[in-house]
Amino acid sequence: MQLAYTPAQQAFRAEIRAWLAAHVPAEPLVTLECREGYDSHVAWERTLATGNWGMVTWPEQFGGRGLDLIEWLIFEEEYFAAGAPLRANQNGIFLLGPTIMEFGTDEQKARFLPPMARGEVIWAQAWSEPGAGSDMAAISSKAQLEGDHYVLSGQKTWSSRAAFADWGFGIFRTEEGSKRHKGLTFILFDLNTPGITRRPIRQLHGETGFAELFFDEVRVPVANRLAGEGEGWNVAMATAGFERGLMLRSPGRFQATARRLVELYRQHKATASPAAREAVVQAWGAAQAYAYNTYAVAAKIMAGGKIGAEASLNKIFWSELDRTMHRTAMQLLGAAAELKQFGDGSINAWLEGYIFSLSGPIYAGSNEVQRNIIAERLLGLPRVGAG
Amino acid sequence: MDFRLSEDQLLLAEGVRDYLAGTHGPAVLRRLDAGPNRDPAIWQGLVAMGLPGLCVPEAQGGLGMGLVEAALIALECGRACLAEPLVDTAFVAVPWLLARGETAGLGEVAAGTRKIALPHAANPWVADGDGTALASVDPLRNLATAPAGASDDPHLFNLGALMCAAQLVGLGEAMLGQATEYAKIRQQFGQPVGAFQAIKHQLASVAVAVEFARPVVWRAAAALQAGEASAALHVSHAKLAATDAAILAAETAIQVHGAMGYTYEVDLHFWMKRAWALAGAWGSRAFHLARIDAGVIGGSHPIGPEHTFA
Ligand SMILES: Cc1cc2nc3c(=O)[nH]c(=O)nc-3n(C[C@H](O)[C@H](O)[C@H](O)COP(=O)(O)OP(=O)(O)OC[C@H]3O[C@@H](n4cnc5c(N)ncnc54)[C@H](O)[C@@H]3O)c2cc1C
Repeated sequence: MQLAYTPAQQAFRAEIRAWLAAHVPAEPLVTLECREGYDSHVAWERTLATGNWGMVTWPEQFGGRGLDLIEWLIFEEEYFAAGAPLRANQNGIFLLGPTIMEFGTDEQKARFLPPMARGEVIWAQAWSEPGAGSDMAAISSKAQLEGDHYVLSGQKTWSSRAAFADWGFGIFRTEEGSKRHKGLTFILFDLNTPGITRRPIRQLHGETGFAELFFDEVRVPVANRLAGEGEGWNVAMATAGFERGLMLRSPGRFQATARRLVELYRQHKATASPAAREAVVQAWGAAQAYAYNTYAVAAKIMAGGKIGAEASLNKIFWSELDRTMHRTAMQLLGAAAELKQFGDGSINAWLEGYIFSLSGPIYAGSNEVQRNIIAERLLGLPRVGAG
Repeated sequence: MDFRLSEDQLLLAEGVRDYLAGTHGPAVLRRLDAGPNRDPAIWQGLVAMGLPGLCVPEAQGGLGMGLVEAALIALECGRACLAEPLVDTAFVAVPWLLARGETAGLGEVAAGTRKIALPHAANPWVADGDGTALASVDPLRNLATAPAGASDDPHLFNLGALMCAAQLVGLGEAMLGQATEYAKIRQQFGQPVGAFQAIKHQLASVAVAVEFARPVVWRAAAALQAGEASAALHVSHAKLAATDAAILAAETAIQVHGAMGYTYEVDLHFWMKRAWALAGAWGSRAFHLARIDAGVIGGSHPIGPEHTFA
């Protein structure tokens, strides 16, 4: 245990803090889930790239800075503390990027990673199907090999940002008649390929954050396949591991929310209930606990360790913490909670955040599914039936 | 920046865990409960492991270790539901005396011939003290009335609360383990009850609570060891998180055991009762919550990511 940042780490914190102070838009951007907001968030990705901040842990040749996970945590802490915009690019840099790093060919790395780091290509994850949500192995969309192309057909749904994004990644059934986890292949596709129809879906808040994708004889070069044919499930599980584990939700995000919640409490102290007060204190504590745990895991990974089913503990913890913090904020706001904009015209970010926090326990593998995983893989309880 | 326990620290804890698992199982708890609940042979075993002297300076025959190691071993004591007063003597009293420069007689602690039960104004009684006996719900806990004029020293209080927190995490882990094992063997409706999701999900929730209480204890131990200005707040955070996790573990564990969990025959009750006892000792939940509140909402504790570890 060595609980001090090195001078280099401190200098790095100062550097990113100064850069963010000079570049983060003064007014929060409109939500990422609409056209206008999407465009401004993509513009922000490109601004980030001018400072080489796209994905600091990646090797320089792929557009990163070759930094370690502790520096990444510092980056994230400062990023959220500065109130910087959400990452339009998150499914690329946090999910597909590490997956390509692990399974891609050198050619694929060189082709896909640098534009991803520069925010030039925004990626959508297209796994879920109408009949395959939690039960992802029920995927029925097909990819049929014809010469040097796969021909995709079928339907994907709930694909975040797919209404506006450039490229998508998903798993498709390549083996005729194959069942469950077998015969699936991981394929990357340009969302503008002829035969792809995108139907935006309005989300709870009314904006069109995700989309349905229809594939009608969509021809995709074999070079866009990640790993071998039929290996899609294993590749996807690695991506899901990145999603639930360290990358998708860093502690800096929740620490920033907890800090804003403390400030909100101070403003509403006169009318707040003792229960809300305790919830605020607990929120600070839980965000701290999440940070401690993440720092320990980061150091473990840096020393060559791996994170396995423990990722499910993390996913439950952050998603339920996020929901609790936003629920508490809504209670503190009282009558003002329902306003989309406050009297001074500023966006009610707590309301937006509360709505979004309700999806945390659903996406990235629902919390029920995570509890199944913990019970079966960490505690060794018997598996019966599906799940 | 490296918030990991070292290889050496983990090996130390593993050694103690294995030793206690082998020598201090449920049969021993039942035997202690049936007769005198302290056993010189058990204490001698702990002495042979060097545990009373863990924090005693090497010059006085101890191992000269710090509070992180002590908290690690306190967690193992909780896991084993250890009855002997090791934690209070070796991980609360010894570090406190050392901090005050009162090093006389610590050699005897390391040698196992001296046990120390320190009263504190926060506790209306002393565990393993000399006063009039009081009955605790925990049959293996020997309470005595506290002498008048007990110290109200904050460092002593923080040491006591920290080591309570560490034990509570160990107790929680043990109860999770017992409930999980029971759920694998108890059959109803033609299957192990642990195959029912209602059972799985409750146990998974306990696993989450324990997982995120543990590092809070390490953080507090490091803060108290380093004498950080915010150490008291971190200790209170540890006590709060550990208490909540242990109580959740206890209530879930009894539920998973069904009526068996409500019997004296199933060993779970020893752990559950220790958790109830320690939950209120060395500062109530309300007290610790208020201390965090004063720092976080009151504003005396700087919040923000650069303050996670400082
Ligand atoms: C905001 C948001 C963004 C998303 N983004 C993407 C994306 O970018 N790409 C993508 O592919 N998908 C995305 N999804 C979809 C997401 O992955 C699925 O919602 C998720 O996998 C759950 O599937 P489902 O919605 O079909 O729920 P269902 O599987 O129908 O589940 C309904 C309920 O049943 C429970 N349940 C299901 N199976 C079990 C079981 N075995 N044990 C216990 N309970 C069970 C679930 O926990 C849930 O409570 C997104 C979803 C949301 C809400």
